[in-house]
Amino acid sequence: MATLARVDWPTCTTVMWYDLLMDVSAAIERINILLDADGSDTSNTSMRIPTTLRDAAALVIKELGVAPSVTALTTAALRAALEAVVMQAVLDDHYAHHPQVRPELGDLAVATAELDGHPLAAEPERLRRAADEISAHHPDASPDEVLLWAEARALPAA
Amino acid sequence: MSQLVILDNEAVQALADPAHRKHRQVVSHVQVVASRKRRAAPIQVVVPTAVRVEAGWDRTSPAWAFPNRLRIADVPLGAALASAAAATHGRTGVSVADAHIGAVILSASADKITVVTSDPGDMRLVAGDRAIVIARI
Repeated sequence: MATLARVDWPTCTTVMWYDLLMDVSAAIERINILLDADGSDTSNTSMRIPTTLRDAAALVIKELGVAPSVTALTTAALRAALEAVVMQAVLDDHYAHHPQVRPELGDLAVATAELDGHPLAAEPERLRRAADEISAHHPDASPDEVLLWAEARALPAA
Repeated sequence: MSQLVILDNEAVQALADPAHRKHRQVVSHVQVVASRKRRAAPIQVVVPTAVRVEAGWDRTSPAWAFPNRLRIADVPLGAALASAAAATHGRTGVSVADAHIGAVILSASADKITVVTSDPGDMRLVAGDRAIVIARI
């Protein structure tokens, strides 16, 4: 975010970190206000995008009918992307202030199972063990990969 | 497949308070939603406004800054939902907030509905015949 450039240095690193957090918080606040605002006021925006992407979007509109126009499709996609970025920025800010609440891979695997009604949601300890096993070899493993690994481990040997 | 995630009273309270014993669990749910949104999955977290009242979630209060910023949408208790909630309230005897959750469930167009709740029994009751996933906290 552009406001991060406000941090002056060299200076005390504590002050820098504080400024960084404050700037992100202020930016999140402003972005949320903009996203919540009435969107009836519009502006023309010129964007250069790959021609093939433009043509693919036009075909999606014409043949698949998922949106009334390329503009509507683009606006919806941009809004969803911005909301996702804001949500993660808010969570990252929260973890910076409360490191003890940052979920571990096992927590996320359990949450994934719970949100989807996966049968392994009833066995959180199995999922946490699977997360420990998989992260030992694949530190960037996702919660979905943990679920797959736990499922595979539960299968009887052929 | 679109997914709607509904928070109940305790889920809201847990989310708002880092000292709450279930805070990390509810934050984990929100983190999974955020990760899916970044992958362009059609998933949304909502809170029925009657649940907000019961939980004391005042969006103008700085005390609720964290949940306020998480893009959790309000589902108002408008005329149609109020009628549906009144019917559920009369049928089941649950609280107004839970009846509002039921009305949201019954009116939702999402392919999958998940309720993050500490009270699975009441949620199944208010959902009626609609299939829901319970994320128990």
